[in-house]
Amino acid sequence: MRPELLPWFVLFLPLAAAVIITLFTRRDRELSAGLSNGAVVAGLILSVIFVSWAGWQAANPESTVNWLSIGDLSVQFGLRFDPLSLLMMLIVTGVASLIHIYSWGYMRDDPGFSRYFACLSLFTFSMLGIVLANNFIELFIFWELVGLSSYLLIGFWFERPAAADAGKKAFITNRLGDFGFILGILAVWAQLGSLNFATLQNSLTAKPEALGTFATAIGLLIFCGAVGKSAQFPLHVWLPDAMEGPTPVSALIHAATMVAAGVYMLCRVFFLLNVPNSNALMVIALIGGFTALLAALIAVQQNDIKRILAYSTLSQLGYMVMGVGVGSPAQSMFHLSTHAFFKALLFLGAGSVIVALHHEQDIWKMGGLRKKMPVTFWTFLAGTLALAGVWPMSGFFSKDALLAQAAEHHKYGLFALGEFVAILTSFYMFRLVFVVFFQPAKAGSSAHVHESPSVMLWPLRILAVFTVIGGFIGIQALDAKFFSPEQALLDASFGEQLIGPIIHEKLAAAVGLFAAVLGFAGAYILYFGAVSDPLPQKLGAFSRAMRNRFYFDEIYQRYVIPIHESLASVADWFDRWIIEGICVGSVRGGTNLAGSLLRLLQTGNLQTYAFLFALGVAIVLYLALR
Amino acid sequence: MAILNFIITCPLIAAVFLTFVPRTFRTVMRGVAIAATFLSAALAVKIFLQFQTALPDYQFVYQRPWVQALGISYHVGVDGINVGLVLMGAIVAFAAACVSWEIKDREKEFYILLLVMTGGILGAFASLDLFFFYFFHELALVPTFIMIGVWGRGERKNYATFQITLYLSIGALIALIGLIALYLGAGANSFDIPELEKHFQQNPLDADKQRFIFPLLLFGFGILVSLWPFHTWAPLGYGSAPTPTAMLHAGVLKKFGLYALIRVALPMLPAGAHNLMPLVAWLALGNLVYCGWVAMRQKDFSWLAGYSSVAHMGFVFLGLAALNLIGITGAVVVMIAHGFLAALTFGLAGYLYQQAGTLQIGEFGGLLRRLPFIGTIMIMAAFAGCGLPGFANFAGEVTVFFGAWKAFPKLTVLACWGAMVIGAIYLLRAVRTMLQGPLNEKCSNLVDAANPWRKAPFVILVSCLIIFGCFPRLLTDKIQPRAQEIVDALNSNHESIPSKSPIIQAAADATPSPINELQK
Amino acid sequence: MHITLQHYLTVSVLLFAVGLLGVIVRRNLLVIYMCIELMLNAANLALVAFSRFTNNFDGQVFVFFIITVAAAEVSVGLALIVALYRKRQTAHVEDLTLMKN
Repeated sequence: MRPELLPWFVLFLPLAAAVIITLFTRRDRELSAGLSNGAVVAGLILSVIFVSWAGWQAANPESTVNWLSIGDLSVQFGLRFDPLSLLMMLIVTGVASLIHIYSWGYMRDDPGFSRYFACLSLFTFSMLGIVLANNFIELFIFWELVGLSSYLLIGFWFERPAAADAGKKAFITNRLGDFGFILGILAVWAQLGSLNFATLQNSLTAKPEALGTFATAIGLLIFCGAVGKSAQFPLHVWLPDAMEGPTPVSALIHAATMVAAGVYMLCRVFFLLNVPNSNALMVIALIGGFTALLAALIAVQQNDIKRILAYSTLSQLGYMVMGVGVGSPAQSMFHLSTHAFFKALLFLGAGSVIVALHHEQDIWKMGGLRKKMPVTFWTFLAGTLALAGVWPMSGFFSKDALLAQAAEHHKYGLFALGEFVAILTSFYMFRLVFVVFFQPAKAGSSAHVHESPSVMLWPLRILAVFTVIGGFIGIQALDAKFFSPEQALLDASFGEQLIGPIIHEKLAAAVGLFAAVLGFAGAYILYFGAVSDPLPQKLGAFSRAMRNRFYFDEIYQRYVIPIHESLASVADWFDRWIIEGICVGSVRGGTNLAGSLLRLLQTGNLQTYAFLFALGVAIVLYLALR
Repeated sequence: MAILNFIITCPLIAAVFLTFVPRTFRTVMRGVAIAATFLSAALAVKIFLQFQTALPDYQFVYQRPWVQALGISYHVGVDGINVGLVLMGAIVAFAAACVSWEIKDREKEFYILLLVMTGGILGAFASLDLFFFYFFHELALVPTFIMIGVWGRGERKNYATFQITLYLSIGALIALIGLIALYLGAGANSFDIPELEKHFQQNPLDADKQRFIFPLLLFGFGILVSLWPFHTWAPLGYGSAPTPTAMLHAGVLKKFGLYALIRVALPMLPAGAHNLMPLVAWLALGNLVYCGWVAMRQKDFSWLAGYSSVAHMGFVFLGLAALNLIGITGAVVVMIAHGFLAALTFGLAGYLYQQAGTLQIGEFGGLLRRLPFIGTIMIMAAFAGCGLPGFANFAGEVTVFFGAWKAFPKLTVLACWGAMVIGAIYLLRAVRTMLQGPLNEKCSNLVDAANPWRKAPFVILVSCLIIFGCFPRLLTDKIQPRAQEIVDALNSNHESIPSKSPIIQAAADATPSPINELQK
Repeated sequence: MHITLQHYLTVSVLLFAVGLLGVIVRRNLLVIYMCIELMLNAANLALVAFSRFTNNFDGQVFVFFIITVAAAEVSVGLALIVALYRKRQTAHVEDLTLMKN
């Protein structure tokens, strides 16, 4: 078998699992889970085999089939094998495998077990499609399918109104982003005549002004897709609600992979955003930075463990988008990769806590967990340290690289913003750790707490390992080489990678570590040993605003959505009264009127008829004879 | 007998046969109807698969002269455009026959009318003679009147049946005037469509006559297809119709007008087309955006489905208005995809009505737990309706967007909004209220589709949507050559439009990289 | 005074006019019916006059046809009127307006 076919198997095995489960094995829970897990683990193994055979830069970068071909429009269905997609393929299959295994334990008692795994496999298929796609429309197809999987999984417990509403909100908000995205794709095709990434990149290298005056507009339209999928401001409102889904879903979709798809897409088409006469990158950076700040502020006052992590994800996504905006996609991808590890770890750890406390999610009702759930605690702590950006965790290296690049490109405002957000990140994460794990045990729910089963613990351990070593296994070098092949990066040794950032980027490293320590100190002072949140008294209304997510949902509900609804009402009124009422009504009424008038001629009187008859004859004779 | 002939006449013969079957043999009647439509469908699949894209002429042709003096002959044949439509019509007819189990009184008359309607539709799509084209369409339209009037539902069904029949008859009449004007204008003494096409290519009508005839055809056929603002018959009509009639009408018969425009009006009246198409694009927007908005406000599921169906017609009109290869091809794909989708949606609505006696969205809730099969199919239909990839509608819609962007970029923006956002809003809201959430007590006696016969029509329609969604080239490869001919006919009086944009030409010349070679 | 064709035709026209006027104005069914007969006879008169003055017998032959047809028509018509009278107890044409509107 030709090795180029391996990625096709990686892509389609999860789809096959999903189809088989839906059609045939719904009743057999273990078989369904086995199929789904098997598909994704096999995908991981095949990915590893492929990468070790073909290397990171495959000799034959694409493998395609003609999907739709009409005149100028040529849409392929193909896979692209360059370092970016291969790296993502490994990360997606790896993290997805761990989460599939974890779910086997987490969802064990749920009646919809088989359906869960079918949807999860569908998601895996769609996500792999996004990272392996080689042209815009294929990317868009999988983009939408990922949205579908997200809808199905967020609304998994569909009998709960909150879950069903959250699924609908997620899909429609994503659709708003996709609306801009498809317009951007249409514009790119109209200007450059192709949809294939490689062809587009070549066209733009040959002729950088090819996009003309539309460069900024096109860049921003394409960014709309990322705004929707990666939940940037102003379409960030769906992600926290998405926590209604099961926790492994939150880990996989709303932390590690799907939301990262937006960032991946921006990096994939960076060459479209980076054209000379485009201001798109500046807007992108600002939105990313703003989202990071907004989300971090909201996270400080959230009390649901999953919401805190959700806003943390939003904030980190803001970082990544900001990274792309300042012109360093390599570092964004690096942060994306490390974030996948530690955020998935944090979510799975949260899941472990939630299940141990019988689905309690309020952090103020938790306690006494440090001693009773040691594995969960230590892995969670590892994830927190990484997220806060403490050396030598992977998060330190990626965050540091990102912010250092911001400083290098002279975007000091964004650098300062990023460091401030780092303080907040450290603060709210340690707040979380102190309240959840260090609080004294409460009576009742915490009494029967015990550690989770191994099927849930092993993924935590494996992710923790990657969280620790992720900074120096070569991801950064890979990304850097992909994006700036001309900069000859020496393959750094292990030690070099470990200490490198501290030596080469002193400012960023120092400020970053200081920010982490500052946040830790603040959290320690306020929250270590606290039984209730002291901030509301100190900050008053601001704290209330943070807790209420700065009222964005309410603003949208009260002011933005009604605009569209009123347009719909006007259309409905117009249809009912003007078109149906007046126009069709007048035809109807006119016919009726004419009928009634003509009816008056029917007097029933014989003599009237005779008279009219004679009159008619006279007129005809007159006309004939004149 | 020629295979196309058999496809058309099999239902008609079955209808005649049923008149002799005594009224009480209900199983026999149902069996005959299903068998006849199944045969037509199977043969339609056969000719679809055997259709050869490379041949330029019509295939599976049968011709027999009828009235020599006027040039009328019975001429049927398929080319890339109508082979998909015949397939779709036959499959939807089979699904409609399966769904007819819910008709419980006067089955004999119902099945006869259903079979006559099927024969008419298939004949209309396959016909290559203008006279029989119109004749078969009227043959399919008249049974609608009777079916909605007798077996319809709702208090306004009498009004609905009169409205739909008279409104559509007016449209057909306006179109007939146009067709006769076309015939007289040609002066070729023939109703045969291929001959007329050739005739008009050599000596086209002068622009004034075209500007007079084309609007007649456009608005006449447009009324048949619920072009905005002539769309108000659709929601009430489909809401009041019995399920199989709604499936056949919304899915198949509605496409006749569009097919007529593509087959007759566009190639033969290019100047008229170029003149009027910008207006059509705006009207298409009326369908897509305006009717989408109205759909958002509907409280009755069949009205929502009706307005959704009208909205999808906007895609086809937009594709036609673009007057380029991509647009027209996309338009035909949308026609076929929407045929399956509309049939599916109305089939589901009919199932729910039969179980619950009402289609008010608020009366339902949490159905997914109680009716898992129907619920899943409904979710699939909802996502197909808002253009999710994997279903055939996406392939058509995205192609129409590309085609329309070339011609009217600003309108396409609004059209995308209508398609992507508005469509998702009303369909997902309906799903949320009807299928999700806690189970509504009023729905506790609803029953899922249990045996294979009940499930079959839905499975068939969804499978067709998925097959054509994953492999759109099955359709587009066949449609493209013919669409190219039409575009050439349209552009024959105008300066030629370059087929490749200048940028890609320059890029292709400048960088002969191996990547480009791979793409070829 | 020499009696010419014009005189006969004038009489015929006058008879016809009287008959027509009677049909339109009179209200008794039987009188209306008699006026119809009057109109028929006016036509007869015209035909005979033409036949006499153009020395062509076709007109007179046609008059025989008309007389025969008139006779048949009278019998049927009177039978209808009698039946109608039996049903409605009136021969007044203004009372017989079932076909109104």
